[in-house]
Amino acid sequence: MPGKPTLPTERRQGGPLGGLLLRFGSTHGHGRVRSGRGVMFFLPQLIPAIGLIVYGAVVIWSASLTISDASFPRHIFGISLGMVAAYLLWRYDYRALANMSKALLAIDVVLMLLPSVPGLSHSALGMTGWIRIPIIGFTFQPSEVAKLVTIYLMASLGAEYNGKIEHLRDYLKLCGMLAIPFILILTQPDLGTGLIILVTGAAIIICSGAKKTWVIATIAGIVALAALVVATSMTPGLPHLLKTYQLKRLIVFVDPSVDPSGDGYNLAQAKIAVGSGGLLGKGIGNATQAGSGFLPEAHTDFVFALLAEEFGFVGSVLLLALFGAMIFATISLAQRVESPFGKLVLVGCVAMWSFQLLENVGMCIGIMPITGIPLPFISFGSSSMLAQCASIGMVQSVWRHRPKAA
Amino acid sequence: MNPVLIVIVILAVILAVLLVVFFLVGRGEARFTFDIGGNAPKASGGSDTSSETGFKTRLNGLGVFSGSIIAVILARLWSMQLISSDDYAAQAESNRTRTISVDAPRGRILDRNGVELVTNRSSLAVMAKSDVADDEIEVKLLANLIGMPEMAVKRKVEDATTGAQNLRTVAVDVSRRVVAYVEEHPSLFTGVSIEQKTQRLYPNGTLCAHVLGYTGSITQEQVDKLDSDESESSIDYELGDTVGQAGVEYEYESVLQGVKGEQVVYVDANGSVLSQSSSVDPQSGSDVTLTIDATIQKAAEESLSSHIESLRAAGKTECYEGCAIAMDVTNGEIICMASEPTFSPSVFIGGISSDDWSALSSDDSHTPMVNRAISGQYPSASTIKPLSTFAALNYGIANVNSTYDCTGYWTGFGSAYGKYCWNHSGHGVLGLVGGITYSCDVVFYEIGKGFYYSDNKEGLQDTYKKWGLGSKEGIDLPGEAEGRVPDAEWKWNYYSSSDNDARQWQGGDDANLVIGQGDLLVTPLQMLCVYSGIALDGVTWKPHVLKSVNSNVGSGSVVEYKDSKLRTVDEQSEYMDLVHEGLSGVIYKESEAQASHFTNLSVQVAGKTGTAETSHTDPTGWFIAYAPSDNPKYVVASVIENGGFGSDGAMYVVRDILGAIYNEPDTSTEVDSSGVR
Repeated sequence: MPGKPTLPTERRQGGPLGGLLLRFGSTHGHGRVRSGRGVMFFLPQLIPAIGLIVYGAVVIWSASLTISDASFPRHIFGISLGMVAAYLLWRYDYRALANMSKALLAIDVVLMLLPSVPGLSHSALGMTGWIRIPIIGFTFQPSEVAKLVTIYLMASLGAEYNGKIEHLRDYLKLCGMLAIPFILILTQPDLGTGLIILVTGAAIIICSGAKKTWVIATIAGIVALAALVVATSMTPGLPHLLKTYQLKRLIVFVDPSVDPSGDGYNLAQAKIAVGSGGLLGKGIGNATQAGSGFLPEAHTDFVFALLAEEFGFVGSVLLLALFGAMIFATISLAQRVESPFGKLVLVGCVAMWSFQLLENVGMCIGIMPITGIPLPFISFGSSSMLAQCASIGMVQSVWRHRPKAA
Repeated sequence: MNPVLIVIVILAVILAVLLVVFFLVGRGEARFTFDIGGNAPKASGGSDTSSETGFKTRLNGLGVFSGSIIAVILARLWSMQLISSDDYAAQAESNRTRTISVDAPRGRILDRNGVELVTNRSSLAVMAKSDVADDEIEVKLLANLIGMPEMAVKRKVEDATTGAQNLRTVAVDVSRRVVAYVEEHPSLFTGVSIEQKTQRLYPNGTLCAHVLGYTGSITQEQVDKLDSDESESSIDYELGDTVGQAGVEYEYESVLQGVKGEQVVYVDANGSVLSQSSSVDPQSGSDVTLTIDATIQKAAEESLSSHIESLRAAGKTECYEGCAIAMDVTNGEIICMASEPTFSPSVFIGGISSDDWSALSSDDSHTPMVNRAISGQYPSASTIKPLSTFAALNYGIANVNSTYDCTGYWTGFGSAYGKYCWNHSGHGVLGLVGGITYSCDVVFYEIGKGFYYSDNKEGLQDTYKKWGLGSKEGIDLPGEAEGRVPDAEWKWNYYSSSDNDARQWQGGDDANLVIGQGDLLVTPLQMLCVYSGIALDGVTWKPHVLKSVNSNVGSGSVVEYKDSKLRTVDEQSEYMDLVHEGLSGVIYKESEAQASHFTNLSVQVAGKTGTAETSHTDPTGWFIAYAPSDNPKYVVASVIENGGFGSDGAMYVVRDILGAIYNEPDTSTEVDSSGVR
């Protein structure tokens, strides 16, 4: 823990780290600090986030020892891009976006439609939703960025009600707005990202002050609809809205022995990797499941299994602790931020991280169905890294542009 | 370190981090004042404070949501990584390791003097994974390299008899050039590997083939049987293993078979070997020393086959089969055991080809795989007469002074049922000794008639069975036959399709039985044991071919076979002397020509000829003898099928074997022309 505060003003800052925060802020502030109490960065969120990025870099570096696809330099490049994006978002006064719902919606729609533009669309290895930027040949997944745009979009819409949605019409309008990006991404089709957008948007709507009864009714409706979709997809003759592989993943989730060579195999191997890590793990480069090719996609979708195998329970708990610290720091920031828009942006970020953590780690340990959702800050892949780093910038921007005390 | 302790420490750290976050962020709340942050509130109603409270509650809810996600994951990880981690670790280990078994060399088989009868040699084999068959180019390359037809290579690779997962043997005994080419071009020959294999080697060719037996790939039934047999040994058999399929190889499988070695290798997800882990060296099987004497065995086989050949040349056109067997009467050790025709055990190495198999199983081949010495069943013919004599004496049908008048034709059951003695001109008056010596049928017809009319109707059968006929002697070789001692009940059942008169036991049946003709069946081994018992005044030692087992592991311990008495038959010494005298007479009195072959031996011999009538043109000849007759050591028997009288062929084989034992070859060239039986 850092040293004692030396100035009475600093003591007023509160918290044992206050002095350090002030000093950090003062050193790099360049006069942009709003007041003597202000600091440039919200460290409780920034430090765990950087910890996660460093942790991820270590994991990807160890994966690069045995997996040829896992290029450590490319991972570093992705982090660098993300840092630039984070810096830009941190500098940008996000509050300007609060009244730009229509523009945000337009950007969102454009991003969702990009992969369908001929000449841009890029599909390889069965992936969908990718674009290939002509000339420089850089491939990118716009839906990763769209997740963030959707957070701003839903937050700007929800903030209008200042914490209490009085009319059902307003609630339905919010739901309708969320449905636009959700349905667009389902057409790509990318169910995994769609679910993230749905959960993130739903969290924002709920925190915007939707009535409990409406929310429960909506959830019930969604569950019923999902059940209907699954049921029709499983019944011959009826329209199959779910792709065969998506249906299979659901079935495998319920009973892994159905498909011991495909998804069932992947799940089994991921669980073996996690479980065999034990308390302390096998050590860097000693992961036999990932290193000998038994664990598929060990550097991307199943990166948690690799991490858990190499670093064991201790390493897994460290990961959860970093996520926990970052999430709770962001929630507590949301508690203190005055502006509903700022609160809701933070809510969106928290919901996004939490759900991706649940889905990605959950599928490695068999408590969630398999989807291609990356683990934030850890998984190899520049698009995801860019978006996740940008989300740090979003949080830091809320901190930076918090209003002065009256 | 205690894992639980570590976990508690970790949880404490997490708690500390969360507390820090709380202190850092949570306490500053009061310093923020309401600010709409650039937003004009549009909602009507609801005070500022109530909206603030609403946000606070909902954000706490979000915290609970995120916290419970972390808690659920944590709980699951606790269960997987701490409680069940050993299970998962074992699965991960079995994922990445493969165990390759390394064959252990089989034990050798030696003769009593240490001469190698079966040994091993190493050979290089080309092995292939089953999917190589799908790659036409690779099959073609392989075929060209080895010099085999493409189809043959494909068939070998597709042959799953050694187990679906096992490597398939494409060719054995390949040249160094082939090995070098395959190993230098791994990209051309994916899935093809070279393995060193040990193979059976028979330095003496076909010598002793029937005793040695042969080896072959284990069948599924054998795997099930051998692996379920807990008492047998700790050897685990699997498909593709080589096991004994006949003879000593089969009988002493459990000692000849070594313990396979194991090599554990690390593999990747594609099954490619990454590195070696541990290995356990194979333990070669134990050597087996037999009681067989290779020199005598060789003499027996040569004599047997040459006499069969000369009999055939002399017009006995159906004469192909025969056997010879010699035993040490004092302990039951089999000195030699020959059976003709014979086979080469080496054709079974690496699986017998269909051509070889059809050659061995065709009608022309005269079932060469049958060990006639123990599996052949013949009427005993006159060799049974000593036992008939014992029966007659014991049941009071005759006494030591009984005399009979042989006129060459006997009408004891009435003139309608007249029977000839083999000597149609008649033997004149003779007693039981003469009856044995001259093999007079009339003497024994009278005995048969005596039994037919006596109260002890089964006296003959009981005596024969007492001496071991009709049941196995229990030699340590597979395939021993029981023979058959016919009696009234047997006949009634056996001829169930005939009318009742024909099924009834008749006087003629006793007349046949008493001279060893008709339905009586014995094996050469049984008669050998009978004469071994006669030689030792009633004591028969259990016949066996195993002398000792010599371990190849550690200090090389030796386990000797424990000789045991098979049976002791109590006969009055008066009767025994009578039989001995009769058998001695066979050698020295029955025929001058026959005697000339034994008078040139330094030891006294006693024995008996026999000539079994069969459905073939020429009868099957027997000769059994023991020597020295005053202090018996060896008993020798020979049977030659469809080769004429016992004195025509079998007698010479027995003489040659005795000649090999005493190193005194037969110098007599006299041929018996009297046709003694």
